[in-house]
Amino acid sequence: MIPGGQFFQQIVNGLTVGAVYALIALGYTMVYGIIELINFAHGEIYMIGAYIGTIAAALLLGAGLPAAAAIPLAIVAAAAITGLYGLSAERIAYRPLRKAGRLAPLISALGLSIFLQQYVLLAQGARDKVFPEEITSSGFTLGPVRVAFVQVLILGVAALLMVALQAFVRRTRMGRAMRCAAQDPVMASLVGVPVDRVIALTFIIGSALAAVAGVLVVMYYGKVNYLAGYTAGLKAFTAAVLGGIGNIPGAMVGGLFLGVVESLAAGYIGGEYKDVVAFVMLVVVLIVRPQGLLGVRVPDKI
Amino acid sequence: MPFGFLVGRASVAAFLGLAVLGGCAGDQGKTIRVACAGPMTGEQAKQGKDMENGAILAVDEWNAKGGVLGKKIELLVYDDAQDPKQANAVANKMFTQGVVAVDGHYNSSCTIPASEVYNQRHMVCLTPASTNPQVTDRGYPTIFRVCGRDDQQGKAGAEYVVKHMPRARVAVLDDKTTYGQGLAQEFLKHYESLSGQKVVFTGVIVKDDQDFTPTLTTMKSYNPDIVYFGGLYPQGGLIMKQMRQLGLKAAFMSGDGTYDPEFIRIAGAENAEGAYLTFIPDQEKIPAAQRVVAAYKKRFGELGPYSLYSYEAINIALQGMAKAGTTDGLKVAQAIHTMTFDTVFGPMQFDQKGDVLVSPYVMWQVRGGKLVQLPPDS
Repeated sequence: MIPGGQFFQQIVNGLTVGAVYALIALGYTMVYGIIELINFAHGEIYMIGAYIGTIAAALLLGAGLPAAAAIPLAIVAAAAITGLYGLSAERIAYRPLRKAGRLAPLISALGLSIFLQQYVLLAQGARDKVFPEEITSSGFTLGPVRVAFVQVLILGVAALLMVALQAFVRRTRMGRAMRCAAQDPVMASLVGVPVDRVIALTFIIGSALAAVAGVLVVMYYGKVNYLAGYTAGLKAFTAAVLGGIGNIPGAMVGGLFLGVVESLAAGYIGGEYKDVVAFVMLVVVLIVRPQGLLGVRVPDKI
Repeated sequence: MPFGFLVGRASVAAFLGLAVLGGCAGDQGKTIRVACAGPMTGEQAKQGKDMENGAILAVDEWNAKGGVLGKKIELLVYDDAQDPKQANAVANKMFTQGVVAVDGHYNSSCTIPASEVYNQRHMVCLTPASTNPQVTDRGYPTIFRVCGRDDQQGKAGAEYVVKHMPRARVAVLDDKTTYGQGLAQEFLKHYESLSGQKVVFTGVIVKDDQDFTPTLTTMKSYNPDIVYFGGLYPQGGLIMKQMRQLGLKAAFMSGDGTYDPEFIRIAGAENAEGAYLTFIPDQEKIPAAQRVVAAYKKRFGELGPYSLYSYEAINIALQGMAKAGTTDGLKVAQAIHTMTFDTVFGPMQFDQKGDVLVSPYVMWQVRGGKLVQLPPDS
C-alpha cells in the first residue's frame, strides 16, 4: 500500500467519526446558544437514541421488513422518541430552574445524566446491545482507500441534516424566533416570541439529531451499551467548544476537525496519544481564539 | 440469595458516591463470612454476575452439608466497578465486616492493589480470573490463583503461531490495561524467542474508544498475516469487525479475556470466523464437571467462562478452613499450599507462589459462529 493511501484512509475514517461528533455537538451548542446551559445529559440522550434505534430496527426486521426500509424507519423512530425524551428532560430538569441562577441547572443536568444512565442499565441490562443487521463489512474501494457503505451513509445523513438545520434556522419563522431568543430572551418574549416553546423545540431538535447520530454509530460499530453516552458526550462537547459554543456552523466544523485530528494522531503517533493530541489542540485553539474557531466574541457569555 | 443482592445494591450506591451504611454487623461470629468481589456494575457486570453465581452455588452446597467448622457460611458480594481504587476500598471494607476469605477479583488491575490489603490483613484470596503474573509473583502467602497465568497463555499462543504459521508476519495490539498489556508482552517475548523473528507492528488502543480504525489502518500498511490482541472481548470484537471493514484479512488471535460468546456477537459471526483464542479446555465436556455444570445451568442459565473457577475458589477456601480447623488466614493458606484439591478441572495443587501447577491453556477457534476447541495436535 502506498503511504498516501493510508493518509486518505485516516482522513475518511476521521471524517466519519467527526460527522457523528458534529451531530451531537449541535445539541450542545443550540441549547447553550439559547439558555446558556451546558446540557451534560446530552450524551445520555444520544445513548438512548442508539438504544431506541437498535430496538426499533430489531422489531422492524423481525416483522419481515427489508433492511432498506427498516433502517430509515428505525432512524426516524429513534429521532421522534428521543425528541420526546429531550422535551421531558427540559420540562422536568431545566424549566423549573430557569430563574435559579447558573449553577442549579448545571447540577440538575449532571443528575439527569446519572439518572438516565442508570435507568438504561436497569431497564436494558449491562450487556452490549448489538445492532441486528450486519452492514458494516460491505463497501467499496476507491483507489487505495476502503470505504464502507455505512460510512457513506453517516457522512450523507450528517451533511443533509446540517444543511436542513441551517436552512431551518436561517429561513423559517420558528428559526427566526430561535435566533431572537438566543440574542435576548426577555426582549424576544416582550415582542411576542413564545420563548418557552422555542426552548422546548430546541431541546427536541437537539435530541433528535443526537438520536440520529446514535443510530448511525450503532450501525457503524455494531454495538452500544449504557455507558456510551459519556465519552461521546465529552467529545461532542469538546467539538462544540472548539468550533465556538453557541454557533451552529462552528459545531459542524469543530466536530469534523476533532474527528480528523484524533484519527491522524492515533494513526501516526499511537492510539494512546489520540486524546492527548485532541485536547492539546483544544487548549491551543482556545488560547489563540478563546471564542472558538467560528465563534463570535461575546464578553458576557463565557 | 437476597442478602447478596442487597449488598450488591449497596455497592452500586457506593460506586455512585452515595452514602453507604456499614450496618449488618449483627450476625458476625455466628456465621463464617466469605466474599465474592468483582465488577458487578459497568461494562463487565456480566463477568461479575458469572462469578457471583458460581460463588452462590458453592456456598449453598456447603451450607446444605452443614457449613464449615460447625457454622453456616454467609456470602457477601462486593462491587469493585473494575476500578483499582474501588477494589482497594472494598478490600478494606471486607476486613471491617469480618470477611475471612475472598473469591476475587476479576481484573488483574483490581486484584493486585486489593491483595495488598488481603496480605496485610491475613485474608485468604483466590482469584478466579486474574491472569497477570504480578498477582502471585510478589510472593504473598495468602494469595492464590485458581486460573492460569498470562505467561503460560502468551506462550501457548506463541507456540501455536510458530508451529502452524512459521512464515507469518505478526502484529501485536494491546489495550494498555494491566491484563492486556501483560498478555501481549508475554506473547511477544515468547514469539520472538521461539521464532527468532521480530513482529512487524505493535500498537495500542484505548479501551474506552469504539473507533480503532486509525491504529488498524496504520497496522494494515505493515501487511500482517496474524494479529495478536491482548485485551477483552468488547474491544476484541470491535477490532475484528473493523479489520474486516478496512479489508484487512489477517488472522486474529487473543486470550481468555476475549473468550466469550459476546465476542462473536459484537464482531458479527462472519467477521469473527477463524479467530483463535487461548482458553482452558471445554468445561462442558470435562466428565468431572458434569454435575456442577448441570446444577449451574439449571439455576442460572448459560455458563460463564469463569463461573466454575469462582465456584472452585470458594470450595478451595472452605476446604482449607476445614483442614486448618480455623479461619485464621495464614493457617488456612498454609493448609491450601499442602493440599491436593479434587476440582471440576481435575486434581489441583498450588506451587509456592500460589499458582496452579499445570498450565491449563488450549487453543480454541471460532468456527461456524461458535467457539470450538481445537484438538491438541492440530
